[in-house]
Amino acid sequence: MREQDITAGAAVRLSGLRKHYGDVHAVDGLDLTIAPGEVVALLGPNGAGKSTTVDMILGLTKPDAGTVTVFGREPGDAVGDGMIGAMLQGGALVEDLTVAETVGMVAALHREPMPVREALRRAGVEDLGNRRSTKLSGGQKQRVRFAVALVSDPDLLVLDEPTAAMDVGTRREFWKSMYEYTNSGRTVLFATHYLEEAEEFADRVVLMRSGRIVADGSVAQVRALAGGRTVRAAVPASAEPVIAGLPAVTGFEFRGDRVAISSSDSDATLRALMTRVPEAHDIEISAVGLEGAFLSLTTENAEEAVR
Amino acid sequence: MNPTYLKTEIVRTFRSTRFVLFAIAFPVLMFLLQTNVFAVSDANFAGVIMVNMMAFGTFSAAMTSGAKLAIERSTGWQRQLRLTPLTGTGYLGGKALSAMLVALPSLLVVPLVGVLFQGVHLDASGWSRLVLGIWLGAIPLVLLGLLLGQFGTPDSMQPMNMIVMMGMGFLGGLWIPIDGMPSWMSDLAQITPTYWLIQLVRPVVTDHLPVSFPAALGVLAAWTAVLGALVIRRYRKDSARV
Repeated sequence: MREQDITAGAAVRLSGLRKHYGDVHAVDGLDLTIAPGEVVALLGPNGAGKSTTVDMILGLTKPDAGTVTVFGREPGDAVGDGMIGAMLQGGALVEDLTVAETVGMVAALHREPMPVREALRRAGVEDLGNRRSTKLSGGQKQRVRFAVALVSDPDLLVLDEPTAAMDVGTRREFWKSMYEYTNSGRTVLFATHYLEEAEEFADRVVLMRSGRIVADGSVAQVRALAGGRTVRAAVPASAEPVIAGLPAVTGFEFRGDRVAISSSDSDATLRALMTRVPEAHDIEISAVGLEGAFLSLTTENAEEAVR
Repeated sequence: MNPTYLKTEIVRTFRSTRFVLFAIAFPVLMFLLQTNVFAVSDANFAGVIMVNMMAFGTFSAAMTSGAKLAIERSTGWQRQLRLTPLTGTGYLGGKALSAMLVALPSLLVVPLVGVLFQGVHLDASGWSRLVLGIWLGAIPLVLLGLLLGQFGTPDSMQPMNMIVMMGMGFLGGLWIPIDGMPSWMSDLAQITPTYWLIQLVRPVVTDHLPVSFPAALGVLAAWTAVLGALVIRRYRKDSARV
């Protein structure tokens, strides 16, 4: 496919996107194309620029440089046509209104909404319609906010930390109602810092750090990237330059007479280590926990991206 | 203007105990209290206090509506609404119009009490000038509410509104009628829009301390223009930031 075909058909297309606040480069040159029907997880630690990116896709924040198009249009126009539904981070509901009134009002603002009852059903809150928002639990509130995002019957759904502050059970419930929607072939972009959510629900994972994309690929690809191992061994300190030159090493750290080597291919690293540093002993190999791998990928030098 | 949005705003407002208390019950009670404390036998003076309390009820309605803005900004609801086809103008316009509409109960109940219990008598043109005058003359107060709502947080809103209402209420002659003010105070009163709001309609109930109608109208129009511009400017700045 030619570049412009991809652009024309893309659900979301970001190119050369930048945004800074004072000296902080919140988003620092972002290029990303999301195809229609993709479910993309935007992962990254706090301050990675996820929310700023989301705000620019939604047209809430103007980029300093670069362009954003949603289904080939300006974000503001796409929002005006009800093509984008969103759950913003930390957003609340209106206190003096019931669930049905809240969702009903948002529906009335859109030109072609789905029936309010339908939105409530899909979000799993149809039996809460008459409840005031002050009488809802945290998880229920989030699902009502999901109904608010759904009611315009959008083609693109953007969720910024949708399950933050939910307990495990409520989170599962939430994603269950999410599933039905994604199965209908809509495009979904969700920002999260729960790795399991990305693994379970996304077709594609985009990892951000310091306003840039550090990894982008299918769940399997990023998992492979994140699923490196650590080789630990007792070695003389003089072996340091040799260790730095071993294959597949992504990082290493000396602690006393032991070194911990992070490796994307522990077999290759170990074979080379045995050959080049014959005095290495007490060797251990351990899988890096997903959480730890994610951390290392988003904090250390992990510039090479899977594409 | 989206009718459902407007309707929802009004429903919300009437559900607030605070609103019902301050914008409806309070003006009525204060009206009865003041006329009794001052032992008013003069229906004209009852009329002066009635005008004051109608203006006060409208002022309360305006400030309560403005405070919703502060809450919606801080909870992110305003951002959520920006993801609908509702424009900034539609959003602010809806808030302003609903503030105007929820001011109507006090504009009708206070005069009703005046007629029934205080012996206030006016002809039809007097009543319509009074009600319409305060209602439309309160537009700058509604804008003031919207402006403060865009600066305040839910926490700071209550004291801020209280200070503005007490200050403008006291100085503008809502609490003590301007007739009872020392001259330095009635001079100072003229910096408040509330003073001019009362002066817009006072000739209906008293010929004491009159101000020409065009002058009152002119000052209120100027307040409207300035506050309106500030509201729009602030909204633009605010929405560019978040």
